[in-house]
Amino acid sequence: MNSSDDSVFESGPKPVKLLLILVAITVGLSLLYAVQHFLGGPIRLAVVSEILDLVLSPGGSLVAAGANDGTVRLFDIQNDWAMTTLSGHSAPVISVALDREGSTLVSVGRDGEIRLWDVASGQAQRVLDAGGPVNGAALAADGSVLAAVREDGAVVLFDLASGVMLRSIGPNENTKLAVALSSDGTLVAADDGAGVRIWDVQTGDSVQALTAYCEDETKTTLEECDEAEKDWLGHEQEVTALAFSPDGDVLASGSADTTITFWDPETGEVKWEAGGHWSEVTRLVFSEDGEAMLSGGKDSKVRSWRLPGGKGTAYYEGHLSTVNGVAFGAQPDTILTAGDDGTVRLWETANQKVVHIAWSRSGLQSMWGGVLRNWMLLSGLLGLVALWALWTARPSGHLLLLVLYVLGPVVVLGLPLLEALTYPVSVGVQLQIAWPLIALAAWYGVVAVTAMREPVADYYDAPKGLSLSERLMAGRRTIKMRAGVFTTAVWFLVLVILFSVLRRFNLDIAFMGHFLSFVMQGAGMTVFVSAVSILLAVVLALLGALGRLSKSSIANGISGFYISLIRGTPLLVQVYIWYLGLPRVNIVLQPVTAGILALGVNYGAYMTEIFRAGIQAIGKGQYEAAEALGMSQAQLFRRIVLPQAFRIVIPPIGNQFIAMMKDSSLVSLMSVWELSYRAQKVGRQYFRSLETLLIAAGFYWGLTVVFQSLQGQLERYMARSERR
Amino acid sequence: MATLGQAGDTKPIIKVRGLHKYFGPLHVIKGVDLEVTPGEVVVIIGPSGGGKSTFLRCLNLLEEPSAGTIEVDDLEVNAAESLRMQRRRIRELRQKAGMVFQAFNLFPHMTTLGNIIEGPVTVKKLPKEQAIAKAEELLEWIGLSEKRDEFPSRLSGGQQQRVAIARALSMEPKIMLFDEPTSALDPELIGEVVEVMERLANEGMTMVVVTHEIHFARDVSDRVILMADGVWAEIGPPSQLFTNPKEERTRRFLAHIL
Repeated sequence: MNSSDDSVFESGPKPVKLLLILVAITVGLSLLYAVQHFLGGPIRLAVVSEILDLVLSPGGSLVAAGANDGTVRLFDIQNDWAMTTLSGHSAPVISVALDREGSTLVSVGRDGEIRLWDVASGQAQRVLDAGGPVNGAALAADGSVLAAVREDGAVVLFDLASGVMLRSIGPNENTKLAVALSSDGTLVAADDGAGVRIWDVQTGDSVQALTAYCEDETKTTLEECDEAEKDWLGHEQEVTALAFSPDGDVLASGSADTTITFWDPETGEVKWEAGGHWSEVTRLVFSEDGEAMLSGGKDSKVRSWRLPGGKGTAYYEGHLSTVNGVAFGAQPDTILTAGDDGTVRLWETANQKVVHIAWSRSGLQSMWGGVLRNWMLLSGLLGLVALWALWTARPSGHLLLLVLYVLGPVVVLGLPLLEALTYPVSVGVQLQIAWPLIALAAWYGVVAVTAMREPVADYYDAPKGLSLSERLMAGRRTIKMRAGVFTTAVWFLVLVILFSVLRRFNLDIAFMGHFLSFVMQGAGMTVFVSAVSILLAVVLALLGALGRLSKSSIANGISGFYISLIRGTPLLVQVYIWYLGLPRVNIVLQPVTAGILALGVNYGAYMTEIFRAGIQAIGKGQYEAAEALGMSQAQLFRRIVLPQAFRIVIPPIGNQFIAMMKDSSLVSLMSVWELSYRAQKVGRQYFRSLETLLIAAGFYWGLTVVFQSLQGQLERYMARSERR
Repeated sequence: MATLGQAGDTKPIIKVRGLHKYFGPLHVIKGVDLEVTPGEVVVIIGPSGGGKSTFLRCLNLLEEPSAGTIEVDDLEVNAAESLRMQRRRIRELRQKAGMVFQAFNLFPHMTTLGNIIEGPVTVKKLPKEQAIAKAEELLEWIGLSEKRDEFPSRLSGGQQQRVAIARALSMEPKIMLFDEPTSALDPELIGEVVEVMERLANEGMTMVVVTHEIHFARDVSDRVILMADGVWAEIGPPSQLFTNPKEERTRRFLAHIL
């Protein structure tokens, strides 16, 4: 506390001082937030409705989007994307399609209602009933036949010209949601668990079953195939998206296992396989010439593929949540996408950049963002004025502060939180939007709790009745409390800055959220490996220290050699030697065992010195007292020296353990499934190493914090004999 | 027990013959002999560096004698033989000789009770319940029953030294050796330790005490030895040695401390 602070604290009664502190913080954060906003900080979005399907008219002038609120949104691209809303469905519109001429729009609601609209007038012409809730629907390219998958597993087929139900196939218990019609409307394909089944539309006969199989056909299960080290062709999990190529030579299926398989519908063989999403594939669409395909996924990514071959050509990243609709644009070098974030995006394929974003609801977005930003800036500046007024003890400052402090949080927290929480995206994305606000709320919480626990009082305004020593104690407590608050504040601000920097890395937060639990599952292994290794190291270090202190030259030599060798070579190299060397003498260890040996032996050497120092710190008097009781050397060591030495070495061992937890990442070289290995595995697979490594780093940090506090408690327990 | 203790009556319980001790080239003890009969209290006084503590520590082999023999209760250790070969005998001898140190040397990681039962349980393999019962008697005897479960760091110096005495007594020694037991204590705490030592002497314990506590030497001891320059400068009953010393060396020493 410097003197100028004290003068402020003394300038008024207690509540004002508290207010002052709170406002100072609000002002600081407001300015920080405003600055961050100007620099392109947190994303502000309006309340929108998820878009569940997307289709482009043949002429390329009209985009139709089925929305979760039961409407169909029509965007007129030529007319500055002017939006028209078609209302009528009482359930989410899960599928939209246009006929060849672009005059009739078909929309399918989840409740099984199928509506045919006249695009020109926006009027519903006809309403059909699928006979129950449906999960997916598809229209033949010529607009003749509509297929829908009902919730009960039946595939129903309609002739659109007449509106007559052609037939119903099934129900089939494995059929859930994916369906596709060949472009001439003669074949219908639907998901059949991890495989696909194809029927003839006219006869309703099953003509082909596409099922996953092992390259080595004698192996029939995934496990056997894995053991035989052969490729498993086809999906491991249920099929979630289907599409026929225009010429009908290829059937593409996307799956919850994140892969895409290209089948030959004639033979049932797998033509090509592809992976590139990190979550469920939601939509597949072929180009008209059949030489390209687009896929959308729950990972909020869109990918393009080249045929034949099924090679990925580009990534389109920008959607904040699941992509539900993809379409090739009217111009050959554009594509259209839409998804749960309520946006329709037009992309250029040359550089995968968005050239236009249309919202399923618009207007609020820009307004709220601007209001908030301006308010933050204004309140920050007003706060500065108020602080100055208070500093110079002008009474007008108090009123200003009160207004600011009451209104500040309401506006700062209320508006954006409402916005973030009503925004229809996954929790991960909501957090991404809301994090600065949640952080701010947490801050207010911290301050409020601290303020409630101890009134801001110091030596000078302690009640006059108290004795000098009590007043001094009160002053000491206040200083300590203030120091605690300010330390917390510093931590908090540095954390905010750190997060702001991390946000500039353009991290894929949804990806991080999706794989958080996968990486987290390695935390147990990390702790296990570190704990067992430290136990091994403690035993080795104890033996080593006894050897070093021993008068026997054999023991001394062995332990001296051990320490010298292990400390003289890098841990990384040692890990490799354990892993690669032992198998050559036909000792094949489990990776976990080898990792524990490598870490334990390495740390044992370092900790030998710690133990030696600990043992040597025990005074001569203790030895003499024990000897005078007639103890043998072994008894003396076990009963008197070691227990005392252990207490001395607990803090450094704790340090070593914390270091070990992080060095245990080296055993990821041996494919031990701990934090780093899991992080690297996912990171490499999806080219998101930075994201997953940051997750791992977070967990390491968390573990370290936890163990530091445990260590503190252990030390307090061990020191109980020294307490006075 | 008190009937045991008349000097010269019975067979000596401590016999030291021709004891020499060198620290490197330094000749600290220059060939001394001593016989102590059961129940006798011998006090060794003398100037610093005179070899008093070293002599006492030689008695239970905390220091290796350079030459001579030490016999306690018919157990003989001879410096001429390899001490490694006599290790077991030395441990036995130590169990017969309780030792109290200037710096108490309590085990800081054990409670008062733990300190007292450590010897009987670990060395004598006495069942724990028995050791605890005995320790509680000792605690009562030294007047520290209420400190049974305290750690040494919470005891005063005088209390610690009394616990150290109880710890030594828990081994049921034949003799007790005190190495300046009150030197590290504040003056007002000396009394409680001396009081315990007096009671011990009155109960007939054979004691060899190195001390500067002249009152203890005068009132409690049977014999006082003035040790200077590694030899006995004078031996005699306290009444004679303190009031009518024969040697000039004794007179000079007494003039310093009285």
